[in-house]
Amino acid sequence: MKVDKMPLPPAQTELRATEVGLTSAAEQHRAYVQADLLIIPLIVMLFMGIFSFHFALLVGDWDYWVDWRDRRWWPLVTPLALTVLPGVFGYLLWEKLRLPLGASLTILCLTLAAWISRYLNFHLFADFPMNFVWPSTYIGLGLIIDCLLLLTRSFFWTGLFGGFAFGLLVYPLNWPLLAPFQVPVELHGTMLTVADLMGYEYIRTAIPEYVRIIEESTLRTFGEAVTPLTAVFAGFLNIMNYWFWLWIGYLGSKAIWIRKIV
Amino acid sequence: MNTIDTLPSSNAYAAPRAPWARMFLVLSGLLSVYTAYRIYQHTTAFTVGLDYFSEDFQKYWMTLLYIQLPVLFALGAGIVGWIWHTRDRNLDRLAPAEELRRYFVLLGQLMVFGIIAYLTASPVTEADAAWHQVTVRDTDFTPTHIMLFYFGIPVFITGAVVAFVYARTRLPQFAKRLSLPFALVVAGPVMIMPNVGFNEWGHTFFYAEELFAAPIHWGFVLLGWATFAAGGLLVQILSRIVELTKVAGSHPVIEAMQGPEGKQVTRRNESVKAEPAVAA
Ligand SMILES: [Zn+2]
Repeated sequence: MKVDKMPLPPAQTELRATEVGLTSAAEQHRAYVQADLLIIPLIVMLFMGIFSFHFALLVGDWDYWVDWRDRRWWPLVTPLALTVLPGVFGYLLWEKLRLPLGASLTILCLTLAAWISRYLNFHLFADFPMNFVWPSTYIGLGLIIDCLLLLTRSFFWTGLFGGFAFGLLVYPLNWPLLAPFQVPVELHGTMLTVADLMGYEYIRTAIPEYVRIIEESTLRTFGEAVTPLTAVFAGFLNIMNYWFWLWIGYLGSKAIWIRKIV
Repeated sequence: MNTIDTLPSSNAYAAPRAPWARMFLVLSGLLSVYTAYRIYQHTTAFTVGLDYFSEDFQKYWMTLLYIQLPVLFALGAGIVGWIWHTRDRNLDRLAPAEELRRYFVLLGQLMVFGIIAYLTASPVTEADAAWHQVTVRDTDFTPTHIMLFYFGIPVFITGAVVAFVYARTRLPQFAKRLSLPFALVVAGPVMIMPNVGFNEWGHTFFYAEELFAAPIHWGFVLLGWATFAAGGLLVQILSRIVELTKVAGSHPVIEAMQGPEGKQVTRRNESVKAEPAVAA
């Protein structure tokens, strides 16, 4: 069979036109606008709710309290939990709608929900000062992932570079906000950070648990390389983490129909 | 007007309107209830809500619990029952314009569900997180639990079930088959209730502290992840909306669009590929 003898597809005019449908392109536009007006708030609200819930239950106190932002657990736990929604919904938005917004939009939604809740619940309701309960910033990480996706158009490269940067940069990104709370002060002859001092002033029920976690082995005594080491380790783990959640996003965005449940 | 507008109009229809007014009515009702509840919680939690065994607690909080549970149950069952009772028994004769309108109604219900999901999963949940850090629990029935577990979660479940039953009784593709992603999105909130049981049981003896990211809470995360299937549901809804919003008389764009009613799409694709290359 010779390739040049292959028949060309029939011209557009020979195809059957849609028999049933909207009256005009203007009507179609009206329908699309209505669908957008319903779907965009739905997605934003869902992202705010799910991400906030997910983050509260996996990172929780590490993000709630300034004295919990240690050098070993916080920069490891945070990117691993933070990558989940950018992976899952990044797949949906890029693969199904060609929107490189998955990471920045989900993280923006988390940030918005976090600020509302810290102010209403931790500050107004439970009376902690905002200085003690401000949420960390992660929007920059989302921008890195989405820009890489837009530039490479590949989940592989986005995971390799973006996933790594995501894990690597949690601490440096927050350093300008966190630094004032890491200044050493002396209290009754003992040196501690401003954040720890605030923690002792505002006693919480999770303190015994925190002391158990944080006083393990040499978490308080190891030299200055702890943070960079944690960051690099988190980066490597996060590459696979991002790919894994992309796969979950692939499964989640499948339009599966079944006959019946049982 | 171009030629498309002047086609025989028997098979063409105008874009239906989403029920905006009714939707905002439902939303403002919901928001007022959540706001009022929140103000009540804010003013009474730390004054009369600290001690389960006090008379004040019984009066201000247990009374509320005993009222809200039956009211929410009756309301949820009533709405779902009404949707079921008024179901469309002639789905096979559904006009496309009406089907499209019903998709807008479904999206409106899902949007209301999304707002409930946010309110319940973020501000109401984290009120409990903050509460646990400043009080030691002596009961499951704290002011934050009464609002979260016995008000927020039931409303959340109702929102999901309402949308599911609406689709099941009004939209052909959801009536004929079962949407797995939709079922997952509904199952997540429903399964939170048994997990609440496990959580509170665990807190009674082996986990007194409230580290929020503790393993005892991970069941909740897993159920929250059920909403990751929302993407699949959106794909199912949007594929059908795309079919219903084609312009009559226009020539379909040939694209590899894989809709649930895949047959129509492939038929058009086939008309391109149909004639096999004649072997020479
Ligand atoms: Zn609780």
